[in-house]
Amino acid sequence: MSLYSTLLGFFSFLGYPLSNAAAYLFESIFLLLAASLSLVFMIYLFRKYMARVQLRIGPNRVGKFGLLQLIADVFKLVQKESLFPKNRDDLPYRIAPVMVIIGLMLAFAVIPYGSFFYFGSLTVSDTGVSVILLFAILSIMPIGEVLAGISSRNKYALLGALRAVAKDISFEIPMMISVLAIIMMASARTSAPLSIDSIVVTEVLPYGILQPIGISVFLVAMIARASYSPFDMGESDSELITGFSTEYSGMRFGMFYAGLFGSILLGSFVVSLFYLGGFNGPFSGDLGAVWLGIKALILVIISFTVWLSMPRIRIDKFVNFGWKYLLPLAMINLVISGALTLMTGW
Amino acid sequence: MIEVKEPRRPIPIIGSLKGMLIVGKHLFRKPVTVQYPEVRQELPKRFRFRIFLNLDECVGCTLCEQVCPNGSIHMQSVERENPRNKRKIYPDVNFGTCTVCRNCEEICPTDAIYLTHVFETSRTRNSFTYSPEELAMNEDEVKK
Repeated sequence: MSLYSTLLGFFSFLGYPLSNAAAYLFESIFLLLAASLSLVFMIYLFRKYMARVQLRIGPNRVGKFGLLQLIADVFKLVQKESLFPKNRDDLPYRIAPVMVIIGLMLAFAVIPYGSFFYFGSLTVSDTGVSVILLFAILSIMPIGEVLAGISSRNKYALLGALRAVAKDISFEIPMMISVLAIIMMASARTSAPLSIDSIVVTEVLPYGILQPIGISVFLVAMIARASYSPFDMGESDSELITGFSTEYSGMRFGMFYAGLFGSILLGSFVVSLFYLGGFNGPFSGDLGAVWLGIKALILVIISFTVWLSMPRIRIDKFVNFGWKYLLPLAMINLVISGALTLMTGW
Repeated sequence: MIEVKEPRRPIPIIGSLKGMLIVGKHLFRKPVTVQYPEVRQELPKRFRFRIFLNLDECVGCTLCEQVCPNGSIHMQSVERENPRNKRKIYPDVNFGTCTVCRNCEEICPTDAIYLTHVFETSRTRNSFTYSPEELAMNEDEVKK
């Protein structure tokens, strides 16, 4: 029972082809709505959390507790003029923010959310190779950022894009290697180790406990991927204005902003799926999505705390850190988990 | 020769974790923000800002104008029957430059000019000068 089959049953009076189309359509609409609402909630949560940590109150005027502040902000951004630099490379400049958002939304479609009471499984799309699909989709967003930086014809944007590339290259590899360790462990217990869903089902004991090095490497890599404060090389507020998104304004800038917060949420989801047991928990037949949400929320709070407490690392130290510490650690983790899988059978 | 001790090399992640802990602790402290129009900050008892003028007491001696360190006070002639103020001159105050030094209050021989606890003196126009009549009014009545 999944969201798709629930919708199919709901639209069954239309006959099979039409109800199939309607089910897919409404599933996509639900996904887009849920993803954008969660983005709005993320930004609200971040502003509230940052304000409380800095002994302020945060948004509190628009709506009850400032809940509508983000809606107001979106309206403001839409109304603002979207400026175009004169020497831009037109097509890449226009599609770059869209690529960021598309990569984000696609990634939300691949994640298995677990089941929730009447609706059954909330997973939108489940394939046998969803791990590969997820990381393929995750690599779309950096391309959007690089395109934005190069097509703006602005030295700050270009430098930001170069730094973003350096960051992505040096952190994607340890990330993928630590995922490889997960797949290796899962392959001993399930016949479909490339599907996130079956990986999570095998996680009776969360992989985070079995691979403490793996979870730390993956978390750091995810923080670097989302590019916020200790690793915000692509933006570098104080040096490069806002890096690759310098020349963007209005809603196009809003898309980059949403992409940043979306990748924090996405990273939290992925870490909780791979390492913290995902939707496993008491009554996971009904409350699976809730468990996943709680785990992701805790990780989001941890990410915000990291964001608010750490200064930016210098670019050379940062690349060193990726290649000289994280990569060997990921390798060691791979060897250890391989030995663990061989010797104990779990 | 003075022996310089090398500082101990910090353990890499401990410092970051300490910072995170401090950030986390701040979450449970009370915010310092005062929600202004609804909640007003408790100002100290001896706080003084708004200058008032008692037109009946003022004798027009111009001492306040002379003592004002930055020329915020100027004497203006006001048509008003006051047997004690034959020259019919009264002070006006520019609150844009007033530093609330209270010299005028101290020097005034008749205690006609004095400072009060009122501090909400926002004006809509870019004119901060209160004429002698306005100085004698309440803040609510002074509407510009």
